[in-house]
Parts: sequence; structure tokens; C-alpha cells
Amino acid sequence: MLLPMAKIRIVGAKEKLDTTLCAIQRLGVMQIQDVAEQPQAPLLTKLSLDASAVERRNEISFLVARLGSLAAMLPQAINTADLSRRYDAASLMPTEELIVDARRVVDELGPESQALALRRDQLQAEEASLTRYQATLRKLLPLAGEIPQLDGYETVALLIERRASGVLDLVRQQLGELLGDRFELNARHVDDQTTAAIVVFPKEQSARVNALLGRENISPLRLPQELARVSLTETLATMERRLAEIPREMARVDDELRELGRSWGSTVALLRAVLTDRLRQMDVIGLVGATRYTFVLAGWIARRDVKKLKDTLAQEVGHELLVEELRVSGEELKQVPVALANPPPVRPFEFLVRLIALPRYGALDPTPLLAFFMPIFFGVILGDIAYGILLLLLAGLVLRTSRRPVYRSIGQVLLLCGFWSVLFGVLFGEFLGALGHQLFGLKPVWMERSGATLKALFVFALAVGGVHVVLGFVLGIWEAFRIRSHKELSERLGKFIALIAVFWLVAIVAGKLPRDLTTPGTVALIIGIVLLSVPMGWLGGLLGPIETLGLVSNVLSYLRLAAIGLASFYLAEVANRLYGISTDVAIGTVVAALLHALNLAIGIVSASIQSLRLHYVEFFTKFYESGGSPFRPFKQSGV
Amino acid sequence: MDLTTGLLAIGAGLAVGLAALATGLAQGRIGSAGVGALTEKPELFGSILIMLALPETLVILGFAVASMIILLLKTGA
Repeated sequence: MLLPMAKIRIVGAKEKLDTTLCAIQRLGVMQIQDVAEQPQAPLLTKLSLDASAVERRNEISFLVARLGSLAAMLPQAINTADLSRRYDAASLMPTEELIVDARRVVDELGPESQALALRRDQLQAEEASLTRYQATLRKLLPLAGEIPQLDGYETVALLIERRASGVLDLVRQQLGELLGDRFELNARHVDDQTTAAIVVFPKEQSARVNALLGRENISPLRLPQELARVSLTETLATMERRLAEIPREMARVDDELRELGRSWGSTVALLRAVLTDRLRQMDVIGLVGATRYTFVLAGWIARRDVKKLKDTLAQEVGHELLVEELRVSGEELKQVPVALANPPPVRPFEFLVRLIALPRYGALDPTPLLAFFMPIFFGVILGDIAYGILLLLLAGLVLRTSRRPVYRSIGQVLLLCGFWSVLFGVLFGEFLGALGHQLFGLKPVWMERSGATLKALFVFALAVGGVHVVLGFVLGIWEAFRIRSHKELSERLGKFIALIAVFWLVAIVAGKLPRDLTTPGTVALIIGIVLLSVPMGWLGGLLGPIETLGLVSNVLSYLRLAAIGLASFYLAEVANRLYGISTDVAIGTVVAALLHALNLAIGIVSASIQSLRLHYVEFFTKFYESGGSPFRPFKQSGV
Repeated sequence: MDLTTGLLAIGAGLAVGLAALATGLAQGRIGSAGVGALTEKPELFGSILIMLALPETLVILGFAVASMIILLLKTGA
């Protein structure tokens, strides 16, 4: 269901505005509406921050960003219960005091934590760089013994793809032209793909040699500055020593950061949250209207919270405020924000409704219907005891390990889907396909999903579709009647009558109804087509019959309940037969288990998508009025 | 198995196979456009999911026709 909303207007002296906003934010039950959207907007001026307030806002914004970066640097070691208590107290502190505190924290903690974080980054970069050099230098090691260590000479190492090693002859030739015999170039294939080379030449020729290598598109290996002057073997040994030291040094830095987190983490999180709240308060001021001496603030609130808001404002601001509930005009109904408020078993399905769009305020909330039908459709498609039990276990795991609301909702939805899968598994007599029948003589309680009963399965799927679509039309007709929309009432009523007439005529063709009833059925069909065509104007004559065909297609679409279920059943059968084909029991078991796992994964995904699709496309389109904007109360950011 | 039965079986295969091919082509185009749209507007996930699942009606109808042919075969047999 949708939470009934009320529109509230608060009028008070301008000097009470800050206190009022603080109280409203702490209560967190009211969405503030822009003054420009209010009917009395022309009589009011829009409030804005003065120059000093803008300056203060900028400073708070800067401090919040700095506190945010400090919070990201420090490991979280926060006692949330203690923090919540301090948060409540800090929310009452004047903004100036909070700014002073935040400045102190940023000044005291900033340099130290930044230095530590920088040191950590440097150590990580050094470790990554040394590891990379180490691998490269190991390739050059075979050449190390051949290099003379001479003062006044520079050594450059080159690594070249083996297939391009011919370029070294060219380099040797050009170095000869440049330096005569005052250089040494040693090369060797170090593995299947790499040729390593080392060039020794006089230091004063460094620029010319590097220019030559650059012309040939060869990048010399640059060693870290401190290792550039020692031999390769020494370099490698130094690197290994350093690589062993780095983790210890990082652990020390981490310890210091952790210690800082313990001492300062709560304060940083607290100040950041409270200052973020103050920023939001300042931003909301732009939505408030004013006369010369008073402010006028309006917004939406759940009807059940009106009294709570009035009491809180009276207690925290005083009785000088005028808090009144306004009448919502027909035009304003479109602006009313929407909050879904369903009982706990239905609530997990709310996110599936939000996936398409929220219902318009005053329209029917389809969540309870989705919560009822969707798991049943899922169960019809998957319909296997073993898969259902595995799904229940998966849902249990998700609910046990996850704290995020959306994952918990998914877990609860899967739990219901698993239950219905087991139930339909019993009805269809399926346990890993027909394995249950082969192993322990499992028999279907209702019907077997195989070739023999294909027709019955199809009839069942179409019957479910018929009931679902007809229910959609009944709700649609009720909605159209409730909002007094003659156009929609005529269209939905026409479609409903046409659909019933089609069922009627099909029953006659199938021999379930006497042929004498053909005329009333045909008349009903014509009445239905006329009714649904009228709102379409002159195009109705053409579109009406097409729409009727669309209705039949809507019902036929429910065949997917049978079709996808059958595909799942046959894939399970393939897995079982593959087990039988292999002579090795272990291999057969592994192959069958993998295929069953794949079937379960496909089954979960396709059963969910197809069940949802049947709701979104076939069911909701008959009655659902979407287009509501979500209710976003002005509230604290929390810690 | 006589020629008529064989042709009916081929017809059933074509009914579901061609419908699946058409569904795949449509879903391929919708999917690629949908992924592009999702990078810009993640909130469109629900609408794109619906659009992606829309062409599946084709293969479901193909499946219905194929099943009717197979049922006809069984009844004939």
C-alpha cells in the first residue's frame, strides 16, 4: 500500500528558521517542497544565503571534503553505539563550534595521517616497481659476468623481443660509426621470447647513445637511481633485501594508521556527519519562501507523522510557529511523493516494483499482488524438489551473510521462490528431473511434466494466464471507475468483455460449451471491440481488432510457464543421462553435477526474469498507473 | 516413419527454430542498445529488462505451434 501523505505549511519568524530546520532534520519525516512550486509563490520571496553564510558554507564544504579524505585514510575502528550517542549531542552544537573543532582535527591529524598514507603509497609503489625490475634483471643476469666495471663508463640494459633481435646488429653498426671501438655490446637470448643486451660506453657520449636508441625505438631499462651504479648481481641482492624489508615497514605504517584510527576515527566520522547535516540545512534554505519578517516553509509528510512533527516543533522551537495542514488540490496530487509501506512479508518485493517505476500517488500499489503471484510462477517454472531445496539453502546463505537491505530483500524473495519450487516439484514429481523416480520411485502428486501430459500442462499455463490477465482487467476497471476516467473505463471494460468473449468462443470450438451459445459470444466480442475502440477515435475501427488479438497474445504469453519449465526438466534429464553414459562413476557424477548446477543457475535467472516479465508486461499494463516520485524526507545523514 | 510424419516433424523444428532465431536477433539489438543506455542511466534497468524480454513471446509462440504439431503427430500415430 501507499503511505497516505499530507501537505504541511510552517510559518514563523525568520530568526526561528535555523532552529526549525534543525528540528525538522532531526525528526526526518518531512520532504521540503520548493517555494516556487507552491500556489502562494508570487506573494513570497525566495530566501537565499547572504555573503557571510555563503563563505561559511564554502568552509564547511571544504572541511567535509577534508574529513572525508581523512576518514578514507584511517582504518575504521568505530564504536557505533557510542558514536550514535555523541552524534545526537553534537547535532545540537552551534555550527561555529563544529567548524572550530573540525579545523582543529584537520590541522592536527591531517599532516600526520597524510604523511603515513603517502609513505604507505610509496612503499607499495616501490614494492611493485622492484618486483618488476627483479623479474627483468634476472633475465639480464646471464650477461652480468661479461660486463667490465669501468669508471667513467655508463651501462645501459636493453630487453628486446627475440623475433626483433636483428635490430641489435644495426645498433652495433651505428654505435661503431658513432663511438669507434669505445663501446661494448653483449647480447644473449634469455628465454623463448626475449633477447637481453647490455651496452657499455663512455659517460660523455650518453646523450648521443640514448638519442640513437631512441631513433631505433628501443627503450633502455631504467634502474632506480640508487641501484644504477652497482653491478647486476649486487643490484639483485639489494632488491631482494629491500623486498623483504618493505612488508615489515608497511606493517609499521599500518599500525600507526590503525592507532590514529582508534584515537581519531570516531571524531572524524562524527564531525563529518554533523557538518554534512549543516550543509544540507543551508541547501534547503533555497527552497524556503519569506515575507519581510516571516519564513514560509511547505512540504510533504506521512499523515501518521503530522502530530509528531507538530509536537516536536512546539517543544523545540516554541508555540510561535504556525503549523497547518493544507488541502491538496487535484492538480497537486501529481506532485505528491510516494512512499511504499507494506507489511513485512510483502516488503522485500517493493524493490521489484521500483525497478520499473513507482506507482502514482493515489493509484493501486501492485506490490502485494506481485508478492503473491511471482513466487508461484517461479515455482511453476522451476518445479523441482532438489533445485527448490538448493534455492532455499542459497536464500538462507544470502540472509545469513548479507546486511545490505537490497540483498536481504533478494534473499527473502528467493526463500519464497524456493518454497514454491519444492511444492511444485512435489506436484510434478521431480527431483533432479526424473532421477527421483528412478532412485526412490517418486511419483507426481498432480501431473508429470513430459510429453504424455504436455497438453494438460499447456492448458494449466493458459488457465493461469487467463486468470491473471482477467484479474488485471478487473483491477484496471476498478481503478478507472475510482478516478472517474470514462476513456480508460471504456477501453478496459471493452478489452475485458472481448477477452471473456474470446474464451467463450474457444470453449465452444473445443466442445466445452454448446454451439447454440456462439451468437451471444460473438455479440459480446463485437460489443467489447466497439467499447475498446471508442476512446481511440476514428482509428479505433482499425486498432480495436488488433488490440483484441494482442489480448490473446497476452494470454498465450503465459505458455512460457510451461515451456521454460519443460526446458529445465529436459536439461536435468540430459544431465542424468550423461551420468549413465560414462563408464567411470566419478567422471559421470562430476559431469552430471556440473550440468545440474548450470541448469539450476539458468533456472533461477530465467524463472525470475520470465515471472517478472509476465507481471510487468502482461499484468501491470492492465491497471498500473506509474509515475510517482519517491518520498525523500529532509533528514540527518547519520553515522 | 512415413514422409508426412517426417515433414510435420521438420515443420515443428522450423517453427521453434526460426522463431528462436528471430528472437535472438531482436534481443541482440535490444541488448546492445540497452547496455549502452544503462551506462548513462542505470535507473532504466527495469524498463530495459522488459524490452529485452519482449521478443521472447515470438519463440514462445513458435514453441506453442511446434508443440501443437507434435501433439497432432501423436494423435495421428
